[in-house]
Amino acid sequence: MATNNKRPARATPTPVPTNPGGRSRSTWIAIIGVLALIALAAVIAIVSTGDDSNSTARQPTVSTGSTGGTGSTGSSPAAIEETRPVTVTGTALPSFPESGTDPALGVVAPTVAGASFDGAPVSIQPGQPTLVVFLAHWCPHCQREMPLLVKWNSAGQVPAGLQVIGVATSTTSDRPNYPPSKWLRNGGWPWPMMADSSDTAAGVAFGLTSFPYFVMLDKAGKVLWRTSGEIEITALTKMITDSLAAG
Amino acid sequence: MPTTTVQTFTALLTVMVIAFTAVVIGCRVVAGRSATATAVLDAIAPIADGLGAAIAAGCMAGSLYFSEVAHYLPCTLCWYQRIAMYPLAVILTIAAFRRDHGMRLYVVAIAALGAMVSTYHWFLERFPSLDSGACSASIPCEFIWFEKFGFVTLPLMAFTGFAAIINLVTLDRPRNAAFNEEI
Repeated sequence: MATNNKRPARATPTPVPTNPGGRSRSTWIAIIGVLALIALAAVIAIVSTGDDSNSTARQPTVSTGSTGGTGSTGSSPAAIEETRPVTVTGTALPSFPESGTDPALGVVAPTVAGASFDGAPVSIQPGQPTLVVFLAHWCPHCQREMPLLVKWNSAGQVPAGLQVIGVATSTTSDRPNYPPSKWLRNGGWPWPMMADSSDTAAGVAFGLTSFPYFVMLDKAGKVLWRTSGEIEITALTKMITDSLAAG
Repeated sequence: MPTTTVQTFTALLTVMVIAFTAVVIGCRVVAGRSATATAVLDAIAPIADGLGAAIAAGCMAGSLYFSEVAHYLPCTLCWYQRIAMYPLAVILTIAAFRRDHGMRLYVVAIAALGAMVSTYHWFLERFPSLDSGACSASIPCEFIWFEKFGFVTLPLMAFTGFAAIINLVTLDRPRNAAFNEEI
């Protein structure tokens, strides 16, 4: 059977005819109006932000003293640093996996020595059951979780004998909610808070991949569990008490 | 030029494009009953493709500025929106110069996909719990690099661009032009 495989010739697109006399007057008005609006936006932007040109680079330090649990309680105001040097001793934990069995279970976590925003020593080391909480000031999930943890403490729901240590990590001055010291102080963070180094050495040592990040250690410093993301306080309490009871 | 100035400039342009798009949609709704609305559409229609090209190019330039100059690292959803917007800048520019309105279907399809991603991204910024509940340590999509006027963020800028492009390329051509469209 003979078939006609010849495809019909493709019609050449016919250009849209234009106004023989060029663009109409109203079209020119529209073009000029658009350009005028763009120019107006530029002028407004320059005028309204002209004074900000010297303030866009945020200062890494502020001269306020510390209160609450984010630093020492000394009487003299100390210089606040949003990042502090961190010393890691031991082998870093493997990265926290997105799914599957956590390879860090039962592994001894490294000892991390650092300082709070105001320079008071803070360390994560064996000795007593410890919950390490990693928070990033710019992370909306951390911003939602932090008040829950504060409420957890104020409600007296923290299991007895548990030590809680916070780590303010991934601090970046050009991201929102900076500086973290102010965020945590205003939020009433009640526990010691370590200011992670600019290269997030503490986070790397604990295998951090996302925020908020929780690492539960037993008194020997072994990892009981790790979890990431927002977590309800009741669930957090149960995870802690269950793991401590099992240990 | 400070980054804050560019943020304000792009946010103002976004608001203007939102207002422009609303006006055009309003005119389209009442075009049959209002001579003024018809006149507005007739004034815009001849340059609609050019305006669409300018908006797409502006969005592309803005995204390149914020990633390459301001060093705002694009997240996964940002990349999906870029994948939609960058070709639009090229397609619409060529189409505007050639006065080829046959690109309408392709442009609307690409822009609609981009608009859907932008919408989800904007909601994710507003309601982070829509996602996994955790911020990636690298580049989380929930993270808001900047916000102007209480609602203008980068995904909203992208959505505005996609919506305006769809609105413009689907405008009817001038009624006195007996043109031939292939869709």
